[in-house]
Amino acid sequence: MVALTGNASLIGQDQRIGLELAESEFGGSTPALSVRLEDGGSDEQTATTAFRRLLQQPVVALIGPSLSQQAFAVNPIADPAGVPVLGASNTAIGIPQIGPFVSRISAPVSKVAPLSIQAAKRLNPKLERVAVFFAQDDAYSTSETKIFQKSIQGLGLKLVTVQRTSTADIDFQKPIADTLQTRPDLIVISALPNDGGNLVRQLREMGYAGLIAAGNGMNSPNIYSVCQRYCDGLLIAQAYSPEAKTAVNRRFVQLYQKQRGGTAPPQFTAQAYAAMQVIHEALTRLDRQESLRSQSRNQALATMALPELRRALNTILLQGTYDTPLGEIRFTPEGEVIQKDFYVARVKMDAKGKTGRFALLPNPSPATP
Amino acid sequence: MEALLQLLFNGLSVGAVYALFALGYTLVFSVLGVINFAHGAIFTLGAYFTYFLIGGAVGANGLMAGLQLPFALPFWLALPLAGLGAAAVALVLERIAFRPLRDRGSDPLLALITSLGAGVILVNLIQLLVGAESYSIPVETLESLPVALSIAGAKVRTVQVMLLAIAGLLLAALSIWIDGSRSGKALQAVSEDPITAQLLGINSGRMIQIAFGISGFLAGVAGGLVGLSVSIAGPYFGIGYGLKGLGVLVLGGLGSVPGAVLGGLIIGLAEACVPAELSGYKDAVSFGFLFLVLLIRPQGLLGRPQANKV
Repeated sequence: MVALTGNASLIGQDQRIGLELAESEFGGSTPALSVRLEDGGSDEQTATTAFRRLLQQPVVALIGPSLSQQAFAVNPIADPAGVPVLGASNTAIGIPQIGPFVSRISAPVSKVAPLSIQAAKRLNPKLERVAVFFAQDDAYSTSETKIFQKSIQGLGLKLVTVQRTSTADIDFQKPIADTLQTRPDLIVISALPNDGGNLVRQLREMGYAGLIAAGNGMNSPNIYSVCQRYCDGLLIAQAYSPEAKTAVNRRFVQLYQKQRGGTAPPQFTAQAYAAMQVIHEALTRLDRQESLRSQSRNQALATMALPELRRALNTILLQGTYDTPLGEIRFTPEGEVIQKDFYVARVKMDAKGKTGRFALLPNPSPATP
Repeated sequence: MEALLQLLFNGLSVGAVYALFALGYTLVFSVLGVINFAHGAIFTLGAYFTYFLIGGAVGANGLMAGLQLPFALPFWLALPLAGLGAAAVALVLERIAFRPLRDRGSDPLLALITSLGAGVILVNLIQLLVGAESYSIPVETLESLPVALSIAGAKVRTVQVMLLAIAGLLLAALSIWIDGSRSGKALQAVSEDPITAQLLGINSGRMIQIAFGISGFLAGVAGGLVGLSVSIAGPYFGIGYGLKGLGVLVLGGLGSVPGAVLGGLIIGLAEACVPAELSGYKDAVSFGFLFLVLLIRPQGLLGRPQANKV
């Protein structure tokens, strides 16, 4: 279930591509896997309705929702029902702790967010004054800004202003005017692609020329159409690199480029693909395990009752190690992802300001276990 | 002084859009006594029309994916044409969602519900045709102008100044038309009492159509202008403005044209006064302010108290 409508649809569109690519890659193998795509919208109510609809169907696991805000609303419904939920983009603190059936492959903000502040400091060692914007009506943004602010203070930087916005906001003239009076060297944004993209555009139009670091919510090429040429230079920490030289990533990039042309796949697409891959590999292991136990050569999973299948899948999923486009990942018993590799990208727009790419900075941060 | 000027610019540029939006509500309310809840959808359509008329293409989603007009108009021409397109849709709405009920003498509350339904259908139709993604009018559209202006130390985006100027011009033109022209006076007569106006030889039905047409035009132009200033954030783009416009309508006084202008500017300025640490609560502050005003003047700032016949 991903956001195909509303202000998070820019994230959902990336995720949809990842799920469809994974279905084409893994759907034909045994055990057969198919995706039932539901629009979870960008609000809790739509997500809840979509989740309940899916729970009434014979699904083995749920991937989604797109927003942490939605995850806090819908995961407590799926968990008691004993349906494994694998978050592919939820990064707010506290999501795997919702229940034993909730896990995620999207690294938490605490691991990723500080990297872009550190990168900004490396790019401008004289950097001292930092302004922060965050969407106060969004769980991911409020969670991420705490990490950002802690990281800013940890590096000895001065937090000059904290501006609260809303994900529905599109006009930021007033908070920008207030912020520019504080003369920041760096502006840090936790928002979604649409509001965040508009904020970046208006910051540049109002004359701000310093560094801008954005959070995971804006980690999508879909921001290009919103902030256009003003996206250039934006720093965003990444949990995925299209340049990773592993066989599984090369295969994923190849699939993506075959469908979408020569562009590099974005993080949300890679995470959605990896989520499907994890479920597929866990089901494959379960199938093998059950076949051995029942000494049946095929259809071992088909003989299991659905609640039993879901329970067994959840257990085996959390025990495995997976070689995904995100690198090697595994889970804590609580369902939190353990990922080794993180990066920081700087958005580079083309001369016309129509499209761009996430260019990885040369010194990727060391692994954060 | 610089801070005060900055606050004034911020408040007026936002307030002018609210005023333009609320005027559309006001015009329809003044002749029909109902709020047209489809007004936000017409505003959204104006933004999309402008985007497509300047040569924008439909994105990857929706039934019209990839489509693009064979020509690209300059923004200055696209904006009034988008306004006319929005006016045409408003007239169609009047024909199918309002007139049948009016002809049957139905309760005005029913027209309110049909307008709400028409608005929802329009928004869903937009989504079906062009998808839910956001669209942006290219930043190069105003390339010949500086991106921002510095006026006595206060910084303001050129597009906001333009928005304020066009909104001001439209508001002035509308006021002159209402007070200084024969048809404007006829509209006032219909808003006072449609039956008496009809007896005096005024075609009430025609005046209602004119009110809808102008209301749609204002919404379309406002949508195009806001779309130029920020991205068009999907089919639900107009909902936030619709809610704020309702607040402005009530604050200014239901059916009062100067009240809509004053209400818009006051709400815009009230939002601009919200301090940074409370900036996320600006809607609560502006609606809280509205609540306080209504406690003292239930008829709104420039509205007339309602006299009930006994």
